[in-house]
Amino acid sequence: MSASRLASLSYLAYRALLAHPFKLLRRRGTGEERFLANYAGEGLVPTAPGDRAVGEAASACIGCGLCELPCPVAGAAPAVRALGLHAAFRLYGRSSAELPFARGPLSECLACADGRCDAACPTGVPISRIVKHLATRAARAPIAAAAPAA
Amino acid sequence: MTLRADVLVVGGGMAGAMAALAARAAQARVVLVRRAPAATALSSGAIGIAPDLWAAPEEPFAARLGTAAAARRLAATRPDHPYAVVGASLERLEEAMRFAAGELAPVLAPPGDRPLFLATPYGAVSVCAVAQRTMLAGDLATARGPIAVVGFRGHLGFDARLVAGGLARHAAAGAPEAIAVEVDLFMREEQSLARPHELARALDAPHGAEHAGEVLRRALPAGAGVALLPPVLGLDPASLAAERLSRAAGLPVAETLSDVPSVPGWRLQAAIDARLAASGVEVISAEVEGDGPGCPARAGELEIEAPRWVLATGRFVGGGIVRRGRLVEPLLGLPVTASEGGASGIHLAPRPSATLTARERRAPQPLLAAGVRVDRALRPLGADGRPVHPGLFAAGAVVGGHEAAADGTGMGVAILTGFLAGRAAAEAP
Repeated sequence: MSASRLASLSYLAYRALLAHPFKLLRRRGTGEERFLANYAGEGLVPTAPGDRAVGEAASACIGCGLCELPCPVAGAAPAVRALGLHAAFRLYGRSSAELPFARGPLSECLACADGRCDAACPTGVPISRIVKHLATRAARAPIAAAAPAA
Repeated sequence: MTLRADVLVVGGGMAGAMAALAARAAQARVVLVRRAPAATALSSGAIGIAPDLWAAPEEPFAARLGTAAAARRLAATRPDHPYAVVGASLERLEEAMRFAAGELAPVLAPPGDRPLFLATPYGAVSVCAVAQRTMLAGDLATARGPIAVVGFRGHLGFDARLVAGGLARHAAAGAPEAIAVEVDLFMREEQSLARPHELARALDAPHGAEHAGEVLRRALPAGAGVALLPPVLGLDPASLAAERLSRAAGLPVAETLSDVPSVPGWRLQAAIDARLAASGVEVISAEVEGDGPGCPARAGELEIEAPRWVLATGRFVGGGIVRRGRLVEPLLGLPVTASEGGASGIHLAPRPSATLTARERRAPQPLLAAGVRVDRALRPLGADGRPVHPGLFAAGAVVGGHEAAADGTGMGVAILTGFLAGRAAAEAP
């Protein structure tokens, strides 16, 4: 075994057997608080079990665009049209750092209680529920205030 | 509230619609429950039934096998394919085809003697048995004179030069010369690209198609016999956008087949919905739950009692087959099987999904042919290989054994099995 490999393995052993257990003893706060302390600066929002369920529902989207055909907002609101309704949760469903950029289209969508998009989805994605969820998630994003109004 | 009917059809795509309309034509009372537009709305818009899979690429279009002969040959070589499973009923394929074209006459042209060779938006050629009226003039086997492939500037999903270049490769098979043209239409200042349904609505509008036809006439190359346009010739068949465009441009026009989002697919689904309503089929939009014929089905607030059911729930898009760790048929829990390397009837349900694809692209992909097994009368088989219920039938993509993407028989299976299952359900005791 080479010297450098021995050195790196010893360092890993030190972290696993000494440093990490001591760190666990000194840990304070809930998981969410610790997540925010570490990642809020990067604009990330914690993923709760509810978020995961919505993400799973959104993953049934096959990007076919049928939901845009009956959409009254896509024709009227340039921001929604430019983004594409079905693209909204495909683009922003996962990365909460980019969510604030979609606040404009999302709030336009929220104002529409039409529901025709839900009825048009061949794979049964609950589109209006996902939009509502994404809008609240966008509002929770810590750097929401710094994001440009879309 | 409880609805009573003779036949309950689950699924509102091509297979479910054919089953409902065939049962209705045999005087049955029919209820059709659907969740949303089916995979039919995402289709190319034309009806592929049985392409000649054995033809060499340069073989002349005129020498290719006809639809019925190709279907018989497919049935003879693939024992799992629904065309083989139905046995002697394959002889009714042309009857089913004519029935489908007749029921959906506002959009579908009557089938001819020869298959149609239609261009895709990527310049490939797809073989179809029946096409929409808006596509007919684009048949490469019969089109005369150079084809003007017309693109709209700003329409991202269609590149006229790509299509014309692709068609040039089919010259040896008999495709006419293709010339690419691009016209400037319908683009507003603030838009950077147009979506297909926006272009279709612009053509549907009063004077929209006439204006487009005028612009097209000035842009056409000399001697063009046919203009081949992107698949956006109107969302509403009643607007007759293609006819108006053709009159104003002074030559026959046709649209290519479509990729998603598919305007022709949407038009086909809309024609199906309209025909179901007009023929007296009770259509309910809801998720359905139930244990099969004999017990009432629940659809939203409703209970539906029907002694015969037709399962036409589709495959992966429609939700007829879903992956929940394993492949399952979610409505009735029927066993899911597929063919693999020529062997038939392999039980896929207990296998992890990752073992269902082959790395070799052209190898049979068990996952893509997954579905329920049926007997000759289209009754789904249980784990013991016997029909689960005498009054339960299956039609369309939920029936396994065919790979729509590879063998081009998706709509054909939907039409044939839908027609046969609908008739059988209406006539069953």
